[in-house]
Amino acid sequence: MAETGRLRQAAVAAPLLSPVTLLRVAIILGVLAVWEFLADSGWLYRDVVPSLLSIGRALAALLSDRNYYFNLGVTAAEIGAALAIGGTTGLAVGLLLGGNRFLSKAFEPYLYYLGPTPKIIFFPVMIMWFGVGPESKVALGTLSCFFPVALNVAAGMRQIDRVLIRVGESFRATTAQMVSKIYLPAMRHPIINGVRLGFGFALIGTLLAETKLSNKGIGFLIIQAYSVFDMPRMYAMLIVLFVLAIGANALIGRLGGLDRIKRT
Amino acid sequence: MALAQASADAILVADDIFVQFNTPEGPITAVDNVSFKVRPSEFFSVIGPSGCGKSTLFNVIGGLLGQHQGVVSVGGETISGPHKSIGMVFQEESTFPWRTVVDNVAFPLELVGMPKGKRAERARHFIRMVGLDGFENRYPGELSGGMRQRVSLARTLASEPKILLMDEPFAALDEQTRLLLGDKVLQIQQQLKQTTLLITHNITEAVQMSDRILVMTYRPGKVKRIVDIDLPRPRTSEIVSSEAFGRYVAQIWNDLREEANRGMRDEEKHMLNQDERTA
Repeated sequence: MAETGRLRQAAVAAPLLSPVTLLRVAIILGVLAVWEFLADSGWLYRDVVPSLLSIGRALAALLSDRNYYFNLGVTAAEIGAALAIGGTTGLAVGLLLGGNRFLSKAFEPYLYYLGPTPKIIFFPVMIMWFGVGPESKVALGTLSCFFPVALNVAAGMRQIDRVLIRVGESFRATTAQMVSKIYLPAMRHPIINGVRLGFGFALIGTLLAETKLSNKGIGFLIIQAYSVFDMPRMYAMLIVLFVLAIGANALIGRLGGLDRIKRT
Repeated sequence: MALAQASADAILVADDIFVQFNTPEGPITAVDNVSFKVRPSEFFSVIGPSGCGKSTLFNVIGGLLGQHQGVVSVGGETISGPHKSIGMVFQEESTFPWRTVVDNVAFPLELVGMPKGKRAERARHFIRMVGLDGFENRYPGELSGGMRQRVSLARTLASEPKILLMDEPFAALDEQTRLLLGDKVLQIQQQLKQTTLLITHNITEAVQMSDRILVMTYRPGKVKRIVDIDLPRPRTSEIVSSEAFGRYVAQIWNDLREEANRGMRDEEKHMLNQDERTA
């Protein structure tokens, strides 16, 4: 009994004190130390590297600012809408291209060429079509999100184990059953991956658009802080954004990891 | 007319099956003029060297291969596409990795709309039958290859097919697992009086389990001989040590050796041709 107890304790304690964890913490502490040293040194022009304390104070001010939450909500809604529109159209187009060789041969090259093009170059067009408000940001985010989702889903559909499809057919599954019980679950990893990438691109597209030309949203606030040279506030917003992006990404990843597959 | 009468006591009839594939090097006849009948509760095996069109035949009977000539009928009814009386077990790994064992086995019941509680209960019955009780809530990724193949078997049994159609279900397993799993299949087949059609290239496996064995020729796949296996039942893998068993194995190997040799020479010739073309 005592033996197993000790083993269990060791198993719990190990990840906390593993060399990798220690190194990770050391890197963060190192960056913070260098940062603080630079801030104190006075080598750089005024507030380019503000002290950690002033950033902390700005962060506290930010988190108690109702106006900030309003703008955060605007940006979150824009990204959410972009992910919803770009994700569903991407999924639909991906399923179509993955399931039909003729369509895939005809259209997939366009996706491959357009995919890596920086979508921000379409922003002027979006402003003309949708105006300066959130609509043009959603449009750009949607455009950014669509391509990785469509390409991932199309590739994922082609990688489905053929025998699983034959199993479904041998049990005389209907088309709807094939899609809901075989195709979609078999493609859960590429789909989640596509949505994850799509989320990242929607985030980038939306924020980039906001920093270019807008009247609300986090991108707008960041550029505003920059233009009045309120560096602590700007860094505070970057930190919040960073944490939110990591959290959202982890959440999406979690959805895809519900069952673990050891089979390779 | 003669066929109609004969099929009265046959549950599955394959009549003059012919399959041709188009390849870059011209059409290849995979299955040629194959006819046979399987009786109710019979264990019938089809054996042949690789490349004899066994798996093609499997797909034709399973209704998964559209492009063929000839007729397959089940209980007098000509099949066009997968038939509800035929349950297929595939050679490849075919469990759904995102479903637990019980959900895998309940899959065919789910398709026909059986209520959740009832289908779980049915699934458990067949999981017990293949000896996997205790693993109901595991995912296939947590099981061994032999256990996963038993899940596939239980899943097909759960659909309660009149005919169990298996394509080298043990091919990917090691010899000991294969023997033990063979015992399991025999035991279940005898218990359910399950009509079974096994496609295999393994002679001992075929003799151990079958009432009759159809030996196929190498390309084009024709019927070389149908051998009656007159060994006592119930059987287990212990039968492999009997003298009669040895005689059957020798007899079938005699038939197969010629075909397997032809297949090997053909493959070598094919490779040399390819080398010449690329040189």
